[in-house]
Amino acid sequence: MEKGELLPVLDSSIEMIRRISGSSSDVLINRFVSGGVHCALLCCEGMVSASVITELIFEPVTDIPRQSSAEELYRYINEELLLSTDRPQVEDYDTLFRLMNSGFAVLLADGMDFGLAFGVQGYASRGVQEPLGEGNIMGAHEGFTETVRTNMSQIRRRLKSPELVMEMLRKGEKSHTDLCLCYMKDRVPEALMDRIRRSLDGIELEAILTTGYIRPFLEKRSFEIFDSAGTTERPDVLCSKLIEGRAALLVDGVPYAIIVPRLFCESFQTLDDYAYKPYYAAFIRWLKYAAFLAAVLLPSFYVAIVMYHPELLNSTLFMLLADAEKRAPLSILTEALFALLMYEMIREAGVRLPKPAGGAVGIISGLIIGDAAVNSGLISTPLLTMTALSVLSGLVLPELAPQLTVLRLAFLIAGGAMGLFGISLLACGVLVNICATEDYGFPYTAPFSPFRKRGMGDTAVRSDIRKLQSRGFTVEEYHE
Amino acid sequence: MNEINGRQLGAMLLISDVYFLFCLKGSISPAALTGFLAASALQLLFALGTAARGGASVRPRIFFLGYSVFLGGLVFSSLWSVGGMIYIPCENGCGIWGRLMTAALIAAVCIYISHEGIKPAARASVIAAAAGALCLAADLAGSVSGGDWKHITELEGRGMLSETVRGFALSGGTGSFAVLLGSAKGDRAGITAGYFAAKAAVSSAVLLTAMAVAGRIAEITERPVITAMQLSQPFEAQRIDSLFLVMFVVFAVFTAALYMITATRLMKELFPRFEKYRSAAAAVLMTAAALVISGRELLLLRAVLAVSALLLPLTGIKRSAAGNSG
Repeated sequence: MEKGELLPVLDSSIEMIRRISGSSSDVLINRFVSGGVHCALLCCEGMVSASVITELIFEPVTDIPRQSSAEELYRYINEELLLSTDRPQVEDYDTLFRLMNSGFAVLLADGMDFGLAFGVQGYASRGVQEPLGEGNIMGAHEGFTETVRTNMSQIRRRLKSPELVMEMLRKGEKSHTDLCLCYMKDRVPEALMDRIRRSLDGIELEAILTTGYIRPFLEKRSFEIFDSAGTTERPDVLCSKLIEGRAALLVDGVPYAIIVPRLFCESFQTLDDYAYKPYYAAFIRWLKYAAFLAAVLLPSFYVAIVMYHPELLNSTLFMLLADAEKRAPLSILTEALFALLMYEMIREAGVRLPKPAGGAVGIISGLIIGDAAVNSGLISTPLLTMTALSVLSGLVLPELAPQLTVLRLAFLIAGGAMGLFGISLLACGVLVNICATEDYGFPYTAPFSPFRKRGMGDTAVRSDIRKLQSRGFTVEEYHE
Repeated sequence: MNEINGRQLGAMLLISDVYFLFCLKGSISPAALTGFLAASALQLLFALGTAARGGASVRPRIFFLGYSVFLGGLVFSSLWSVGGMIYIPCENGCGIWGRLMTAALIAAVCIYISHEGIKPAARASVIAAAAGALCLAADLAGSVSGGDWKHITELEGRGMLSETVRGFALSGGTGSFAVLLGSAKGDRAGITAGYFAAKAAVSSAVLLTAMAVAGRIAEITERPVITAMQLSQPFEAQRIDSLFLVMFVVFAVFTAALYMITATRLMKELFPRFEKYRSAAAAVLMTAAALVISGRELLLLRAVLAVSALLLPLTGIKRSAAGNSG
């Protein structure tokens, strides 16, 4: 809503501000006389630092000698006083409210149709803490916070290059959320940045409260199983992506950054890989690839083979499974669905409940319900073992948790309904969906398909750091 | 219009060739292998001419459309025929409805693949082909350790000409090769040579494995290659048939998808006003073709069509050259 330019008469201006804000109780208006001119200092309660505003603004401003006019007063403040390093000029009420709600104090003087704003932010915010979702053993233990400026400083501290560009944007009709587009200007082609900016221009939202509000605007296709725009809560990971020629978007109020473009192989890489010896890092990577397949396919293969293809089992295993399953009252597919859905419910309960209660849910479900279900014969031990192994494998790749959960269930139903034939059909569909995922001309499945031999050094294995550094990789190599 | 690269085109075509090799009926012998290799060599010669042409001209497009539908029908038909061997739950015991349901499910996946376009299909084909190569390597390893290679010399085959015709007939990719080569980036002659060399190598590996493992059983079994894959067990304690079953169905889907993509592409060029439901129309035509084929192998017809698919673009070159000189 256009609220117009500032009124020169102070009383009218204050009346207008009260009307626009609905006399909101957190809008503080302090009237005083400075240099013989009637003034008002406006700020938003809780957004400014009381000590900073007193020391840097009130004390110097109230000591200003008598001035001949309001213009002289502004000139004196601008030229004689250093009240704040961040001092934008305010000419309309939209800007006034935006700045005030961002932690600025705004000075209005009677007779002037513009105001002076001073950055005196002092709102409560969470400090830099260890990220919860991206565990790291050998790397830094700092994560992003909810304050975009803090996050920008964390990146700048790690990348002191002047090539690092941070462009501020503001989106959200109501929220006026600050976004920061970061990239290394010597690594990212300008054409890619233009396309990303065009995508961001298309954002028409009332509020941006999490990264999920923005990601659909950066992801081109309507139905992607996997995310082609990634997220991270680690500044060191983000810096490594920027160096590889990617762009990142920081969102104020969200301790996660969005990274574009994102590749499938990145889900299997961590910063720790570069701290370990290459042979161990390669081993861990292959372990993760195996874990991905186990997380998606293990229950479905079990159900399909036991239900439709028992001839594929050797006799010992067949007898073992037959003995276990004949005591279970439910069909194998029902059992498996029951076990998986129960796990998902328990997991969701553990996540949403307060932490002490969440822990208790884990113990109750794992030890009591699980044990009771097996002892009562409701679920067979082999099936529960397969389900547990599958779930455990999924925990190896926490950022793929939503996809793994849904794919595991879908493959289970396909395997239970049509055996290996069903699993194969679904696998084809999923494979093509993954291969069709492509944003800004970067295939999600690169460097596997389209195959890039040079990319194998940091996907199939982990080459020596000197070799990786010397080849000067940027993600542009995968562009099609 | 370079949408895919040579490696991706090669993977798509190789999958279809290997699929038809899996479905091969009748005995296999060293003569069959020689026939296949001879057929591949002759196809390479014709295909190099097609590569020089770069794609099909307008007139053969109708032929290629019909050929793609026919081959798609063959995929469904052969899948119905081997349903008992690879055990498709919804097909066994449900008669014609089970068969139609199998076809409908495969068609649904193929329509989705076709809807996504040739690029994703080509990328996925490379991954599927790599997984297939691993599966084949495991079977080959099983045949090396457990197979009896003296079987190979004991097997009696048909005549050389007959085996060469069979080699031509089981080439699933010639039609799509001629149509899609224009979409591939890179040196077309190199792509052609690479594809046919890989085809010869893979065919040799599959047939040698089948001969070594199945031995004289190959003479009495209906589908010797599938039997050999089921018999080849490289690990003593664990069967790997499940891997083969998955690969077989995946190859079937990608083969049918290749023909559907080829058919829809040709439909788009031939009937530009027919925009919607092109893939669905292709799927219906393929299912109808499968019902007409009804499990028959039609080797001679397939061989003639495969040769025609490579020769027709060449006649286009001659005609255009004559037109230019006139």
